[in-house]
Amino acid sequence: MVKSWIDALPKAGWLLGFALLSQTSFAGGPWTQPQGKGYFKLSEYWIVYDQHFTDAGVTDPNVTTGIFNTTLYAEYGIVDRWTATLNFPFLSRNYTNNVVSASTGEVLIPGEALNSIGDTDLGIKYGLNKPGSKLPMALSLVLGLPTGNPAAGTQGNLQTGDGEFNQVLQFDIGRSFDVGKKSSGYATAYAAFNHRTNGFSEEIRVGVESGVAVLDRDLWFILRLANWESLKNGQTAETITSTSIFANNQEFTSFTVEAAYYIKGGFGVSAAFGGAFRAEIVAAAPSFNVGLFYDMNH
Amino acid sequence: MKTYLFFGLVALLAAGCIGDDIVQDAVEPELRITNPLDSLAVGATHQYEVQYFNGIGQPELAEVTWSSSAPSIVSITADGLATGLQEGSALLRADVNAREGSFSATVLLEVGANTVAAGTFREGMIRSTSSYLLEGDFELHDVGAGRLELRIADNYRASTSLPGLYVYLTNNPNTSVGALEIGRVVDFNGAHTYVIEGSSLNDYSHVLYFCKPFNVKVGDGEILD
Repeated sequence: MVKSWIDALPKAGWLLGFALLSQTSFAGGPWTQPQGKGYFKLSEYWIVYDQHFTDAGVTDPNVTTGIFNTTLYAEYGIVDRWTATLNFPFLSRNYTNNVVSASTGEVLIPGEALNSIGDTDLGIKYGLNKPGSKLPMALSLVLGLPTGNPAAGTQGNLQTGDGEFNQVLQFDIGRSFDVGKKSSGYATAYAAFNHRTNGFSEEIRVGVESGVAVLDRDLWFILRLANWESLKNGQTAETITSTSIFANNQEFTSFTVEAAYYIKGGFGVSAAFGGAFRAEIVAAAPSFNVGLFYDMNH
Repeated sequence: MKTYLFFGLVALLAAGCIGDDIVQDAVEPELRITNPLDSLAVGATHQYEVQYFNGIGQPELAEVTWSSSAPSIVSITADGLATGLQEGSALLRADVNAREGSFSATVLLEVGANTVAAGTFREGMIRSTSSYLLEGDFELHDVGAGRLELRIADNYRASTSLPGLYVYLTNNPNTSVGALEIGRVVDFNGAHTYVIEGSSLNDYSHVLYFCKPFNVKVGDGEILD
């Protein structure tokens, strides 16, 4: 039986919304923060890859490339049903390895690194039905601001942003439930459209997510599945030199597994990793995320 | 717990450091005659030029000696000056003792009424060495005045998904290092031509397509006579 499931909403809300893995949404699912309440997280995301999915969907090698983002994420209830979100990678590092000759041991192409801020996302979410609804729904607008560096290094391939302005309109729907007396769970789904500028193709994103809490709702396990499709209506390599995870016309079907644990009060830790079942023009390696969070609702 | 966090942090920082990727860039060393003739007139001379390319495809100075299989038809000095003596044919051979071993190059020379340079173009086929679409035929033409034209045929096709694709002439198709960069690829379908200044027809063995952002080879084409 679903019992006072509304108690679980804040937890579900942040768990849904708070994922810095690239394939997850961070609009918080259909649950909004109560007025004056919020959720905050400091996290580290990283991916190191030496191969990528090509446009044919198979993997090809590339110079080993690493991306590390240290990010502040926040959700805050402005008023009931209206929640503001911020995703601010205030330190982003992108590097490539040296390419060394096996014959001579000489460095043929020196590695490079870029440290900068990343692209920042500002969002606003509106709950379409009243708090406590059995089937909450929400509409979100997220603006992806090109605050990162889109082209650094001698080849212009070091990036902490894509250099374009994203406008994501997203619809979320979900439901929470109790599992026995001390456990809770939720399931959500979303669909979004990403309008992009500077010749980047628009995207259609869909995803589902489910989480289950144990240990008196202090430990959560979450699974996310996402599918992003490019409309491929933008420019191509004929006019764009971008690469790495910010490349244009990316597509993927991915998963993310996350665990989050409330250590004391609203403070907790989380860890996640993700990967792709299939992809095009995307790094082919698992990504990781660890973080410290504070949940004002817990 | 603190120990785990410490070592976890150290591991994370280490993962963010620039490391080394090893590229297998060895190629077979080659001694190449760069100004061959089809025929040499009786009484005429021709100074052969030869270049040794080492195990990574880079030109390297080395002492070369020449010999003729038929000295009565074509004589040749140790440094490659050939003289046509009477009509017939001879196999001319250049030898080098380099750090990586001994190598030779041969050329068949007809001696007749006229001196005729070898062909003014070479050709080949572009092939993908990756998962990206890249195919087509090409011809490399010597158009005089130290100028080459790389003429890509109408059957050429390349993926437009590749960021930063460049085309090169090289003697080592495993790397862009030491290669002559022709330019960024802006044509992805059909015939087009690149003009190359200051190079000779036999200076390079391969056309190379290389993705600069990924620092990885995408395809190549051996330049054949």
